[in-house]
Amino acid sequence: MSKVDVCGLNVWFKDNHVLKDIKIGIEPNAVTAVMGPSGCGKTTFIRAINRLNELIEGSRTTGEVYIGDENIYSKETDIFDLRRRVGMVFQKPNPFPKSIFDNVAFGPKIHGTDDEKELQRTVETSLKEAALWEEVHGRLEDSALDLSGGQQQRLCIARALAVNPEIILLDEPCSALDPAATAKIEALMRRLAEKYTVIIVTHNMQQAARVSDYTIFLYLGELVEYGITKSVFENPKSELTEKYITGEFG
Amino acid sequence: MSRIIDAGLEELSVMLCRMGELTYETVSLSIKGCLNGTSVYSQVHEMSDALISMSDQAEDKTFELIARFQPVASDLRTIKSYMKIAYDFARYSRYALDISYINEQFGGLKECEEWITEYIEKMSEKVVNMVRTSIDALRSHDTQLAQTIAKTEEEVDKMYFEYLDRLIEKAPATSKCTISSVLVVRYLERIADHATYICESVIYLATGEKTTLR
Repeated sequence: MSKVDVCGLNVWFKDNHVLKDIKIGIEPNAVTAVMGPSGCGKTTFIRAINRLNELIEGSRTTGEVYIGDENIYSKETDIFDLRRRVGMVFQKPNPFPKSIFDNVAFGPKIHGTDDEKELQRTVETSLKEAALWEEVHGRLEDSALDLSGGQQQRLCIARALAVNPEIILLDEPCSALDPAATAKIEALMRRLAEKYTVIIVTHNMQQAARVSDYTIFLYLGELVEYGITKSVFENPKSELTEKYITGEFG
Repeated sequence: MSRIIDAGLEELSVMLCRMGELTYETVSLSIKGCLNGTSVYSQVHEMSDALISMSDQAEDKTFELIARFQPVASDLRTIKSYMKIAYDFARYSRYALDISYINEQFGGLKECEEWITEYIEKMSEKVVNMVRTSIDALRSHDTQLAQTIAKTEEEVDKMYFEYLDRLIEKAPATSKCTISSVLVVRYLERIADHATYICESVIYLATGEKTTLR
């Protein structure tokens, strides 16, 4: 059974029809990569999964997105809780100008956790899950802004994990990182998929091929191909996918 | 505008076509020597060495393309297939060398009765045609031509086993002829197998479908 079922999803920004009738089922405990040329709707697609698009003035969404049995676009949806369940990590690391500890504890605190010991446990667990604990456990009170770019990005992942999400969305999480930091984030994504459903937007096709189990190819807002990554990269069904991944356009 | 990888793929393709033509010459020469009883061993040896070296170069090139361009889809299939085909060509040359060695060492088919020589000549024609088919199918990525090899492959296989049966049944040959002819038909049958593998690779690189033509 899919973790996320997208049924006839359409998104407009004013008159611009950005996503067109997307129908897809995203598998649980797997990494799904979303790829496609600039402007194809990749970021809009993942932002539709935690309803971030509606923060943009002039946006309009139709269709349904189910997480489990719940249509997240129903009136009853608690958006605050939805964004806890569906964490997001952005292209550029965006730690708060606070300590490492406070960055990770921020989410649990605003969701009502005030027990110091529980917060400490959550921070430690989240930093361990984000493969950052070994590097920072002796300096949790240092400013998060003193960390390297790669460490900051893993801190942002830890921050998302601290509120016990089900799905992690990553929007080009390595585009600002060097190869070593990228390799760490990629290894982390594979580990996270053991527990969470991971969806990553990437411009880097080799990254999609390396880290993902499933690959989505979007073009001009339409779903062109969705399949097991090995098949998409070895023998794509669509000629358009073939041309995109072999660099003939894009 | 062509992609950077295209130049590398073209270089590899030219390399394989050259290998193909040289293997055709090598196999043909070796079989001819065996059927005529003429010594071609040193010539075939030289050609075979050149082919092994070309196969190594092709393999190096495929590794370079993988490392530098991380190919996918049809590019990846082409590189994977070319790597396998280069190996198949090397095997052609190895069996050609073996045939010429048998000719050199045991006198080939000199002591054999006429029916044996005729039988092997007939089988050789089919095998040489298969080698030609595999090279032509590769040059133009012609999947239809590649498919046609299945029928000849079946015929060669049948001829191989039929020959062994007939040899046991008639048992007229001398030891030298028996050893030579059995080894030669075995090598011919193996060349036919590799021709078939090449045609399977051609179909895979062109369509992505893994086909068995055996």
